[in-house]
Amino acid sequence: MQHLSPRFERRTLAQQQALIVGLGGLGCPAAIALARAGIGRLHVCDDDEVDESNLHRQIVYTPLDVGQDKLSVAKARLEALGPCEVVLHRTRFLPENAQDLVQGMDVVLEGADNFATKFLSADACYLNGVPLVQGAAVRFLGTVFARADESQACYRCIFEDLLPADQSPNCESAGVMGPVVGVVGALMADLAFDILAGDPSRCGQVFSFDGKKLVLRTVAIEPRSACRLCGKESTEPIRTVSRALYGASAAPINNISGFTHPQCI
Amino acid sequence: MSITVRIPTPLRTLTAGQETVQVEGKSVRDLVDSLESAHPGMKDRLMDDKGVRRFVNLYVGDEDIRFLDGLETELKDGEEVSIVPAIAGGR
Repeated sequence: MQHLSPRFERRTLAQQQALIVGLGGLGCPAAIALARAGIGRLHVCDDDEVDESNLHRQIVYTPLDVGQDKLSVAKARLEALGPCEVVLHRTRFLPENAQDLVQGMDVVLEGADNFATKFLSADACYLNGVPLVQGAAVRFLGTVFARADESQACYRCIFEDLLPADQSPNCESAGVMGPVVGVVGALMADLAFDILAGDPSRCGQVFSFDGKKLVLRTVAIEPRSACRLCGKESTEPIRTVSRALYGASAAPINNISGFTHPQCI
Repeated sequence: MSITVRIPTPLRTLTAGQETVQVEGKSVRDLVDSLESAHPGMKDRLMDDKGVRRFVNLYVGDEDIRFLDGLETELKDGEEVSIVPAIAGGR
């Protein structure tokens, strides 16, 4: 019998739980990998319906699912793949619910399409001591970054803060390549398995996948002492998540002006 | 000082698709100016009036320039500079 990997005891994985923020192009392949491996509980957070335009990259869904809510489809599909319980959170990931959603997780995987959710995930996970894997992809470029423990840099060590809407990078027509998000989603799952197996050695670095050259590069990231989230010398430390950190809009954060589209420089 | 600069895919529209370019520069600031001369539009994508844009990180070898001397970081012949952009997408 082919076993998972020397780093795993399947019975240990069966006692662990992960949250996937966004069951889209990145969340789908990551969820499939976790479900097939036999993670105990797989929490998924999304509030969207399956659209025909999703199908080339969101590999949990089929053409027959168009118009149905993603979570209902995903629960049936993912639970059929392996011995895991899929727990549904039919909501967007918001400042009001983020901390509750991440609490108690062994790892969180975030594959959102906007910076507000990326910073919110980083903040909520850091404040609750939860390891986080973050993925992104635009056209042929994908990046993955994981933070496993206190010794490692966080997302705000790298990118500091949201940009004001008028300075926001905007590549709204850029789109994403299905195979590239598949690679990035698989890398996210791979790093999540590291974290679940208690091995943080590949975390704390940014992996960049170049889908045109098929090259994977890594850059190690050092924690920044002035980081607002994890830095010990920050003048404005972040102690809790609040809507003001992610824009003044009262709308769901995915709709904050300037942060609604796939973005790049 | 001939420096190899790794260009991320979103910026390759400015380098005719090239993954790496060779430019001259004694410091990172110099290098950005050389990039702008060779590939017009690059400087605006990397910097604003306050310095390096917040969603862009520049590395000399494996070191973030924020941990070196920022834009004044000196460059040695043959060194490699990487541009790492923040991206969001893939949902």
